[in-house]
Amino acid sequence: MTVIASYSNKGGVGKTASAVNIAYCLAKEGHRVLLCDLDPQGASSFYFRVKPSKKLKGDRFFTDVKRFTDAIRGSDFDNLDILPANTEFRDFDVFLARMKRSQSRLKKALKSVGNDYDFIVLDCPPNISTLSENVFKASDAIVVPVIPTTLSERTFEQLVDFFKEHRLERKKILAFFSMAQATKKLHGETMRRMRKQHAKRFLDVTIPFSTDVEKMGIHRAPVGSFSASHEAASAYRKLSKEVAKKA
Amino acid sequence: MLATLGHLRPALVSTALSKKLVGAKIGDARLVREGEDDQKAFTLIDSFDNQIGAADMALIATKNDLVLIAPDTAVARQDFAAPDFVDHMPEGPVTAKLGKIVNPLRRLLVRAEGTVSCQMLKMVDDLDKTVARCRVHSFVPESGTAACMIEFMPLRGYDEEMDQLTAFVASLGEPLGTVGDIARALRGPGADYTSKPVIAMTPDQTSFHVATDIIRAQIAVARANEPGVIEDIDSEFLHDYRVALRRTRSVISLFKGVFTEDQTQQFKDRFGSLMARTGQLRDLDVHLLDRQAYLELVPPALQPGIDKLFDSLAADRGAAHAKLARFFNGQAYLREMDKLEKLFAAPKRITKGPEAERPALAFAQALIWKRYVKVCKIAGLIDDGTADEQVHDLRIHCKKLRYLIEFFAPLFGKKDTKVILKSLKTLQDNLGAFNDYSVQQEALAGMLDRLCAGNSKDAIEIATSIGALVTVLHQKQTEERARVVASFTAFNSEKTSARFRKSFKPGKTAA
Ligand SMILES: Nc1ncnc2c1ncn2[C@@H]1O[C@H](COP(=O)(O)OP(=O)(O)OP(=O)(O)O)[C@@H](O)[C@H]1O
Ligand SMILES: [Mg+2]
Repeated sequence: MTVIASYSNKGGVGKTASAVNIAYCLAKEGHRVLLCDLDPQGASSFYFRVKPSKKLKGDRFFTDVKRFTDAIRGSDFDNLDILPANTEFRDFDVFLARMKRSQSRLKKALKSVGNDYDFIVLDCPPNISTLSENVFKASDAIVVPVIPTTLSERTFEQLVDFFKEHRLERKKILAFFSMAQATKKLHGETMRRMRKQHAKRFLDVTIPFSTDVEKMGIHRAPVGSFSASHEAASAYRKLSKEVAKKA
Repeated sequence: MLATLGHLRPALVSTALSKKLVGAKIGDARLVREGEDDQKAFTLIDSFDNQIGAADMALIATKNDLVLIAPDTAVARQDFAAPDFVDHMPEGPVTAKLGKIVNPLRRLLVRAEGTVSCQMLKMVDDLDKTVARCRVHSFVPESGTAACMIEFMPLRGYDEEMDQLTAFVASLGEPLGTVGDIARALRGPGADYTSKPVIAMTPDQTSFHVATDIIRAQIAVARANEPGVIEDIDSEFLHDYRVALRRTRSVISLFKGVFTEDQTQQFKDRFGSLMARTGQLRDLDVHLLDRQAYLELVPPALQPGIDKLFDSLAADRGAAHAKLARFFNGQAYLREMDKLEKLFAAPKRITKGPEAERPALAFAQALIWKRYVKVCKIAGLIDDGTADEQVHDLRIHCKKLRYLIEFFAPLFGKKDTKVILKSLKTLQDNLGAFNDYSVQQEALAGMLDRLCAGNSKDAIEIATSIGALVTVLHQKQTEERARVVASFTAFNSEKTSARFRKSFKPGKTAA
C-alpha cells in the first residue's frame, strides 16, 4: 500500500485536480485505489458526484476504524473508491491531532482498509501548515503542484526548508509544474530556473494549463473519462506513472 | 468501485426482463444501460447425472471463460478448458470448487448450448452517480428453455441502494428460481438422468404393481446409460447400468411370490444373461481405477511390474469394451431390450404369483423384517474365529436388506429409512471392503495363472509384483475381518433395533 498525498503550502494550485486524475489513472492501470477527500470543501468528492457522508461525526471519525471504512464509497470507475469529504469534520488539523502526533496512526488506520488498496491518494486541504508534518510522515510520496511563478518559487523553497528543519525525507517530495502556459515567458524562465535549482525534486512531466481541466467541473468527472485523447489527459497519465514509479 | 464479481441471484424468467428494467425508476434513482449488449455462444457443462446442477450450481463455458455460478457466493472464473474429468482439467478457482462436488470418476460433458447475451445496467442517482449495477445474462439454448440470471454487483458504500435494486427486481413478479432450476431449464427435458429414480408408491398398491414399476424404472436407467457405455465416456455409465440390472434382479429374486416360479426363472435368465455380458469390462474397469492405489501398496522396486500388469490390463480393457459396444449395438440386444421395455410398460403378459395382490406395505414389512432377523441371526454367530464364508454370507444378506429398504423407502418415513440405511452403511462398508480385498486377491491370482503360461522376462517381474500385492491385500483383508464383530455390534444397537421394529414390525412389542 502506497500513500500519495497531493499537497501544497499554497492554495488553488491544482492539488485537487492532480489527486483526482492521478487516482483515476492509477485505477485505470488496474491498481486498486482509494481517494481520500480530506478537504471539507469536498472538491474531489464533487468531481466524483459522491455526496458528503451524513453519518460521520467529526469527533470520532478518524479514531474509529469502522466508521472510516464504512464511509468509503465506490466511484463509477473500476478499482477506484472514494472517502468522501465530511462536512461535520471541520478541519484536517483536528484529524491529525487525533492521530496524537503519532506518525503511525494514520498509516495504521489506512492499513485497516489496506488489504483492499494498492494506492491511497490524499487530497489535502489548503492551509494545514502547522500539522502537515504528520501528512509528510504518513505518506510515501508528496505530490506538489507548482505554478511556475516567482511567488510559487518562494513557497516551494519554504516547503523544502521545512523538510530540512524537521529532518523529513526530502526525496518524498515529487514536485511538478502545474497550469503551465508555454506562451508565457515568465513560466518558461521560472521552470528552467527551478528545475536547475531543485533538480532532484521535480518530475519530468508538466501539466499544461488546459480548459479540459476546467471542464472537469462541468462533467463532474476526471479528465481522462471525457477527454482521454487530449493533452491534459495524457499529461496526467504520465504524471501518475512517474509518481507510481517513484513512490 | 472495486472490481468484484457480484453475487448472482438467479431468476427463471422470460428474457423480456432486461426490457422491464431499462429506464425503470427506483425512488430518486433510475436504471440505465451501461455499454452494449454483449452476445456470445455458451455451453452448459455438467456430468451425465448433473452433479453440478444437483449441488445448485451451474457451470457455463464461453469462448474464453469457465464460470461457475453458485447461489449467494461470488462467481468463480477461470480460463476456458474443454470439459473432462475434473482432475484432468487445469487447476483454478472453478476446478477447485468442482473437485468438491463432482465425482472424480465422472467426466464433464456439454449438456446444453446456445447463445447468451449480457447487458450491464447501472442504477444512477439524481447526480447521475452510479450507486449499483447489475448484469442481466439471458441464455437462449438451442433446445431447452430460455432463462436468465441477474448478477448483482454491489458498489462499496451503497448497500441501501443495492437492497432497493434487488427489491425492485423481486417486485417485478417474475418467478425466481434457484441456480439448479436455471440449469435444468437450459438442459431441457430428457436430460434429467438420475441413477436413483424415485418411484411413487402407496401402501395399498399391489406388490405386483410396485415390482413392475420398479423394474420398469430400472430398465429405463440401464437404457439411458447405453450410449455412454458405447462412447466410453466414463466408467460410471457401465457401473450405473449394472446397478440398474442388479436392482432389477433383486426385485425378481427378493419379491418372492409376486411372479410365478416359471416367470421368475425366465426373468432371472434373461436379466442374468444381459448382466453376464458386462462382467469382464466392469472387472477391468475396477482394476484400472485401482491402479494408483495398487502402486502405492508395493515398494518402489516392485512398481514397474505393477505398471506392466496394468498396461496389459488396459489393452484387455480396450478389447472388452469393443466387444460390449458391439453387443449393445447388435440387433439381438436391441430386440431383447425393446421386448423387456414393452413387457414392463404394460405388464399384462407377466404371470402373477400367489403374493401378487398383497398390499405393498404389508408385503414390504414382512420381507424387510424377515431379512433383518436373518442378518441378526447370522451376525450373532460370527466371532473372530468364524469361517470367511459366513462373513460373505452376512455381506450378501446385508446387501439384500439394503435393497429392500431402498425399494420400499417411499412407503416409510424419509427420515426413518435414512437413519436406518446410515446405520447399515457402516457395517456394509466394512463387509464390502473385506469382500473387495478378497475379490482382488482372487483376480490377481487368476492373472498369475495366465502369466505362467507366458513365461517371458516381463512375466517374472509382474509375478513378483503380484506376489507382493497379494500379501498386502491379504493383510488388509485380515484387518477388515477383525473389525466385523465390532461393526455388527455397533449396528445391532437397541436404538437401531427399535427403529426397525417401529417401521417394519409395528404393533408387536417383542420380536
Ligand atoms: N491544468 C489546469 N489547467 C487549467 N485549470 C486548472 C488546471 N489545474 C487546475 N485548474 C483549475 O484551477 C482551480 C484550482 O484547482 P484545484 O482545485 O485543483 O486546486 P487546489 O490546489 O486543490 O485548490 P484548493 O487549494 O482550493 O484546494 C480549479 O478551478 C481548476 O479547475
Ligand atoms: Mg483542493
